[in-house]
Amino acid sequence: MPTYTCYGLRIESALVLPELLMPTDESSEAVPIDVVINFGDISPDGLPDAKQLGPYIWVTDELLWLEVPFVARFLIRNGKQITIDPAPGIDEDSIRVFLLGSVLGVLLFQRGFLVLHGNAIRIGDQSMICVGHSGTGKSTLAAGFAKRGYNIVADDVVPVDANCSVLPGFPRLKLWQDTAEQLGIETSELRRIRPELYKFNYPLHDRFAHQTLPIRWVYILSTHKEPDIKFEAIRGLERFYPLRNNTYRVRFMEGQLLKVQHLKRCGQLAGRIHLSRVTRPDNGFELEPLIDSILADIEAHP
Amino acid sequence: MTTGGIYWLASYPKSGNTWFRAFLANLHANGEEPVDINELNTGVIASARGWLDEVLGFDTAELTPDEVERLRPDVYRWYLKSNGVGYHKIHDAYTLTVDGEPVVSRDATLGAIYIIRNPLDVAPSAANHWHCSLEDAVDRLCETKMAVCNTRKALTDQVRQRMGSWSEHVLSWVDAPNLNIEILRYEDMLENPQETFTRAASFLMLPTESERIAKAIRFSDFKELARQEAEKGFRERPRHTGQFFRQGHSGDGKTKLTPEQIERLTTAHSEVMQRFGYL
Repeated sequence: MPTYTCYGLRIESALVLPELLMPTDESSEAVPIDVVINFGDISPDGLPDAKQLGPYIWVTDELLWLEVPFVARFLIRNGKQITIDPAPGIDEDSIRVFLLGSVLGVLLFQRGFLVLHGNAIRIGDQSMICVGHSGTGKSTLAAGFAKRGYNIVADDVVPVDANCSVLPGFPRLKLWQDTAEQLGIETSELRRIRPELYKFNYPLHDRFAHQTLPIRWVYILSTHKEPDIKFEAIRGLERFYPLRNNTYRVRFMEGQLLKVQHLKRCGQLAGRIHLSRVTRPDNGFELEPLIDSILADIEAHP
Repeated sequence: MTTGGIYWLASYPKSGNTWFRAFLANLHANGEEPVDINELNTGVIASARGWLDEVLGFDTAELTPDEVERLRPDVYRWYLKSNGVGYHKIHDAYTLTVDGEPVVSRDATLGAIYIIRNPLDVAPSAANHWHCSLEDAVDRLCETKMAVCNTRKALTDQVRQRMGSWSEHVLSWVDAPNLNIEILRYEDMLENPQETFTRAASFLMLPTESERIAKAIRFSDFKELARQEAEKGFRERPRHTGQFFRQGHSGDGKTKLTPEQIERLTTAHSEVMQRFGYL
């Protein structure tokens, strides 16, 4: 089976994962595998003796069962093993979309990482993380930073380790057609993330940061009806909840033993970052001024 | 046995849904001052992507609109686990998924308030709301395949909602088989507010003391909503739209539409307009 690396893990996968990097070290044979991804049968009825967190999620201390109807069922075990049971007739791209999103998010969570929902960008020798609800423009912002020559550390799933550093994911962004057009990116050569969607794999190539980088800045992106871009620094204890609320799929944390550890990590991270709400006008997305103002805020809070 | 579930606050867009939600929020709060229009915590719209993603545990943005639609009943059914009663706005027509199940889920639905407004008044208001010409708005009210948030090229914060034409939207709800429904005419909410809102509160099994109802009506009065919007804005206002709360009365439509546009609307919707006293 081919071996890949992402988020500091060595992954052996029965499903080809062209989005991920291959290990570059010569002695790869000797390095132990952290995660194995295989195909197998998974019960359609959820898990016995487990807690049901949603119509398609079951969880125990060691296992998480997730079904994406029409695509696949996934069983994620102890942060080490992923089993995929594809829906009849489904294409591999569709499976990869959810495997590299929610499923990897769960796996990293099981491995004890605090997983934020957003993206991480390298600024000097540190990293800036941007979080926020769907549709606030996180991906557009990341693509804009990449176009300006900044390196992307992680997109969508952003794991934070015990040292409050972010681990590098893999060198791609997912871009909608309209975002690509806004950035002047030609999509005809790009691979769709799923055959039915106008959403594309945008390879980052050398715009990807391979290093684990300490987190210095976290921005919570949102929109408002006003014409200006507004920054509001969040200080002291108030920093905890915004971080917790932007963890990847807060629902996954419910009923898991790791919850306490994750909350502790939120607290640690809150203590060492510059955290600010950035609110941009919802009436048209002026990308360049937004990047400029974030960079200015970063400079003001080194 | 569960006692929870969802009451849908259903309407074609620009038919008084937000006004009704403001009434409901004030009826609940029963406070000394009007509820902040930006804090109408009556539950998110049925089509909110955030609600679906949160319950499903994966991104609906990476599903096709048809796939998402098939999962929506499951999301609403999950609501039953909470044992709470929710009041959620919805602009979808009462449609069935390809599996033959109502999108809103039969199990999860306690009932629906359906608010109907004269389409001749809906059209100008909708043109402003959709940031389109009056002609386009009239087209949309007559368009059988009308749906909103129906794109595969961009991320929208709501999932696709099939609405159909104005008449189809009305009939889908008011004639839905075995649906516990109360119909409110926007015009009656204006002309006979006490009686109409009391009927609605009673249907939703909420307090109906006349003073409390009267206060909630007063606190959600058009002038109050427009005053608050002028003062601090309204976060549910769509981008490009100048003002959300614009007129708050009925009968204006005719003065803004051309005779041809009136003719088109009344011809296309004559049956339903007659049934609800608009013709």
